[in-house]
Amino acid sequence: MKIVSIILLALGISFGANAQFKKASVHATGLTCAMCSKATYEALESLPFVDKIDTDLDNTTFILTFKTGAPVSIDAIKDKVEDAGFSVGKLVMTANFDAVRVQNDAHVAFAGSTLHFMDVKNQVLSGDKDITVIDKDFVSAKQFKKFSTETTMPCYKTGMMGDCCKSDGATASKRIYHVTI
Amino acid sequence: MKRILIIALVIIASGGIAAAQELYVNTEPASNMPANSLGIRLSNKFFNMKHSGDNGMRFEPEVMWGANKKLMLHVLGYASNMMQSSVKLEGGGVYAKYRFLSLDQQHAHFRMAAYVRGSVINNPYYPEMPDGGHAMRPYDNKELDLEGATSGVNGGIIATQLLHKLALSTTLGYSRYMNNVKDNIPDDFSRNSVNYSLSAGYLVLPVKYKSFQQTNLNLYVELLGKTNTDAVGRGSYLDIAPAVQFIFNSTTRLDLSYRTQLTGDMARNTSNSFLIRVEHNIFNIKK
Repeated sequence: MKIVSIILLALGISFGANAQFKKASVHATGLTCAMCSKATYEALESLPFVDKIDTDLDNTTFILTFKTGAPVSIDAIKDKVEDAGFSVGKLVMTANFDAVRVQNDAHVAFAGSTLHFMDVKNQVLSGDKDITVIDKDFVSAKQFKKFSTETTMPCYKTGMMGDCCKSDGATASKRIYHVTI
Repeated sequence: MKRILIIALVIIASGGIAAAQELYVNTEPASNMPANSLGIRLSNKFFNMKHSGDNGMRFEPEVMWGANKKLMLHVLGYASNMMQSSVKLEGGGVYAKYRFLSLDQQHAHFRMAAYVRGSVINNPYYPEMPDGGHAMRPYDNKELDLEGATSGVNGGIIATQLLHKLALSTTLGYSRYMNNVKDNIPDDFSRNSVNYSLSAGYLVLPVKYKSFQQTNLNLYVELLGKTNTDAVGRGSYLDIAPAVQFIFNSTTRLDLSYRTQLTGDMARNTSNSFLIRVEHNIFNIKK
């Protein structure tokens, strides 16, 4: 009986953990003071999908752990950092993939967001993987310029669905997150 | 005086060993307070008044609000005994700052902001002496300010540069002085002035950030100048203001500053002062 419940529990956890963002590592730039970090921390804490936050204050990095099953908005994370007066220098999302096939410059619908993988080899993602968001305002202005010159896809510059995107039935105004591994 | 300058230069030169700080004590940085946060401040200034030989004091309660990520607003009150024998409420003011440029990088940022300040003051332009009293010396002052001396408006531009470990900030502003509630500006005062400043700040402690509970110790040196531009009351001064700052629990600030004149030809009733300020911040007031 005990074994059965353990198996059920294990199954439950693995189903529950499927196809969702679990964590994010947010590196904020422009912070110079304790008050700045504290304000950013409290702003991030107010996100409804954030369960807890670990900090690496020396590197002005915040590790967000998400609530299980709560829909995660990547843009909302950036907005909170900007509201506190700073910028996102790097955002790495840890996501649990369940045999998701990714291709370069192709869209993948994932946990309520549409991801556009750039600069990746064709592969199948399984288990916990880190993906880095490389959209405008998620990387430094210098890096954004660099990525912009490396891609011919105009949707990268807007972060929105464009003509360049391989049609998957989405509307033109749909938010597309450009990510890399 | 030379010693203060040398200390200032040594601090600037040693900037490489400490993190930069831009929570300036005598000026505002181009950065704003976070959106949706509230700050409460009480600034107290103590100084000697040349005309009476008495100790003057000024109290400035201030409420600050981060309206959004680009705009912050302050409301201030002014009370002092500068113009009468006891401390009385002199008036109030508003201050708004809009950050219009923000270039953030890993270890550097450059920000610019525009600000406006307005004050409504009820004070005479020459101090009242108590009945039977008389000034020790003639009241020789051509300096007006919007912090209790006169009504008026001030506007300007702030640029703050953080480069590696050095945070520098500069302000350039223009003031137009207006008549007080009951008294008009005497003809021998300049109605216009230009203000300018250069500030530098350094984080001394903690050496390594581990928690929000660590007390921060910051050092500042600021150069503060003003020029009366009208033909009457024309003159300039340049002050230096070193400051020490403590930040407790990443929310409460204690500032201590001494300000003294380096050079100048403007008649001033007060040319050095102490400042003590307590500030408390509440982040995310609306969840």
